[in-house]
Amino acid sequence: MAKGIKVDRSKCTGCQVCRLVCSGEHVKSFKPSEARIKVMDKFPEPADFEFKYCIQCDEHPCVDACPAEAIKLDEALGIYKVDKDACTGCGSCVEACPHEGIWLDPTGTYAMKCDLCEGSPQCVEICPKKALSR
Amino acid sequence: MADGNKGKVLRVDLTNEKVTTEPLNREWAKQFFGGKGLAARYLFEELKPGIDPLSPDNVLEIWTGPAVGSMVPLTSRYVVCTKSPLSGTFLDSYAGGFVGPEIKYAGFDGIIIKGRAKKPVYLWITDDKCEIRDAKNIWGKDTYKTEELIRKETGVEDARAACIGPAGEKLSLMACVVNDLTRNAGRGGGGAVFGSKNLKAVAVKGTGGVELPDMDGFVKWAKEMFLKDVVENPDHAGSITDGTPIIVDMSQNAGILPTKNWSTGQFDGSTGINSEAIKTRVLYRKKACFDCGIACGSWSKVTKGRFRGAATEGPEYETLGLCGSNCGMKDIETVVKFAEDCDRMGLDSMSTGNVVAWAMDLYERGILTKEEVNGLELRFGNEDAYVQMPNIIGTRKGIGDILADGSKRAAMKIGKGSEKRVVEVKGVEYPAYDPRGSIGMALAYATSDRGADHNRAWPVAGDAYGSGDPWNPEGKAATCVEDNTRTSIKWSFIFCDFYAVNWTNMGKYATAITGKETTEQDLRVMGKRIWNLVRAFNVREGFSRKDDTLPERMEKEPLPVGKPMGHVVPRADFERMLSEYYSLWGWSEQGIPTMKTMQSHGLGDIARKVPAIE
Repeated sequence: MAKGIKVDRSKCTGCQVCRLVCSGEHVKSFKPSEARIKVMDKFPEPADFEFKYCIQCDEHPCVDACPAEAIKLDEALGIYKVDKDACTGCGSCVEACPHEGIWLDPTGTYAMKCDLCEGSPQCVEICPKKALSR
Repeated sequence: MADGNKGKVLRVDLTNEKVTTEPLNREWAKQFFGGKGLAARYLFEELKPGIDPLSPDNVLEIWTGPAVGSMVPLTSRYVVCTKSPLSGTFLDSYAGGFVGPEIKYAGFDGIIIKGRAKKPVYLWITDDKCEIRDAKNIWGKDTYKTEELIRKETGVEDARAACIGPAGEKLSLMACVVNDLTRNAGRGGGGAVFGSKNLKAVAVKGTGGVELPDMDGFVKWAKEMFLKDVVENPDHAGSITDGTPIIVDMSQNAGILPTKNWSTGQFDGSTGINSEAIKTRVLYRKKACFDCGIACGSWSKVTKGRFRGAATEGPEYETLGLCGSNCGMKDIETVVKFAEDCDRMGLDSMSTGNVVAWAMDLYERGILTKEEVNGLELRFGNEDAYVQMPNIIGTRKGIGDILADGSKRAAMKIGKGSEKRVVEVKGVEYPAYDPRGSIGMALAYATSDRGADHNRAWPVAGDAYGSGDPWNPEGKAATCVEDNTRTSIKWSFIFCDFYAVNWTNMGKYATAITGKETTEQDLRVMGKRIWNLVRAFNVREGFSRKDDTLPERMEKEPLPVGKPMGHVVPRADFERMLSEYYSLWGWSEQGIPTMKTMQSHGLGDIARKVPAIE
């Protein structure tokens, strides 16, 4: 059973505050390009959004694909997290993920994916329309 | 130091095809904060007085603000700042959506554009870089298509663009700047300044970030503010459920809904264009700008009838009033179609609605004949003629060539008493609140820094929509001064109008952004400084009391129905409010800030550059 956050697309208004809080929390910068969730409009259809994020699947092909063993189990949360320092930015995990839930940062230095913010996903807490949930 | 600013300004010389970057003037940022204030300071410095706004000498600025791109709620905006070709005044026009933050993420606080390109171009701004690109494939296209083509040409599927449509290319003085399909820096003809520079669009994609001094503390606090002061704030309830269309019923009840070119303040078809009509007939989904928990925008789609397929965001109250009731249109579907075409053409729907209503009025009075209006039966409520008008104006076809320059200039060409039917200040058409049922609005429109405007002061909130006496001039000047002060600072963060943020919280946000303790009082000082700076700009351009006017009809033509029945704006009341307003600001009877006033706001150096200030 996947342990990731859940999305109700019909409720999303596209405000992107999930990405602001995510980047603020993870990289100490308001920097959507380093958020662990993507909310994309389907231009020119302007009010329907597509999401990309790690659903924390049980199969975790990203873990198996990583040559540096940089995606490690967090036993407390029961999910796999990227160890930024161990990651070489090779992109094997990105290739392996069928959900497009993991990707490289804009400079191609490391892979990033949702880590559930120590169990309290900030995006879920802030979503004004409750489009995101646990 | 992290203070919300990127510390960098992009300069583009279109004549010489030169792009440079320079450090942000931090001293000015301290005195004028950002957004409106900083844009005004740069424009005052760099614009030669008295130039033709559509000549290469005009300076076109696009600014973000220190809060933009951060988690300070509802700060998605950018400002288009230039000398307005419609009013001849200072112009600051704002748009939400996603362009503002993207400019910050690309590394810039502001963009200053000068000169004129030899052929149509657009700017393509990516991280710390800017390219002047050939626009031959997009020139002539409407704004929707322009955005689509820019995404294709750049190969960046989420590129953002502030662009113009055919109206801007053809120098319509009502042309706006459009981004994210439906978000407009609407008023004052900024789109024509783009067009005059052969500039089709400013496109941008950035991957950088915005940092504030205490990131850990700020993220936590901003999250709390976002939920408590935005999502759960009772002042936002109507914005969340309805958005601005909720005002249609309020204005109808107060008798101040502009109807049939301002001939009355109640519309017998108002239930066909109010919020309920939107919700039950065309609403598709709610839509937010960046960093907004309100999502006041409604994406509306027409699903049946002759306008099936028409879609727009909103329509917003101003469009419903000025393009709806003011043109005698009773069906929301028709207004959606009109609004979409205004966006596609890149026309300010507020001025366009007014101009079309005025032309309908002239047609019904026999001042304009069928031959003169492209063979159309241009009557109030005739949707066949009505829906063709945005394209006719946007492409300057026939009568469109005359109407495209706004009603004041059009009246000079048409004559025959048409000038008596115009409702404008400084060439800018009135917003959708009839001052004959809310007298303070007459003062707000007269004293706005960019021609008739409701976003510099909004006294209607306290009288026609509140409990105050809408015909008593008492206290209206003070309300306008307070609103001018507050909006000057609010448009400098840049906050959205719909965040009912109070002074205390603005102070807290400013403290968090700058890392320097900033109180309400500090912000008030800055807001007043900004308003006086802009007034000095306009004085330098020759504006004074003679231009802060009341349209003759508001004085002489009583409203015929509803609560304001029989009311006008009495000339004596208007003049009294105006004198009181000047006096409260420390300006002369002629509306010129005194040297002493300017010095008290730290603007002595500015004052010395304006000969009329003594």
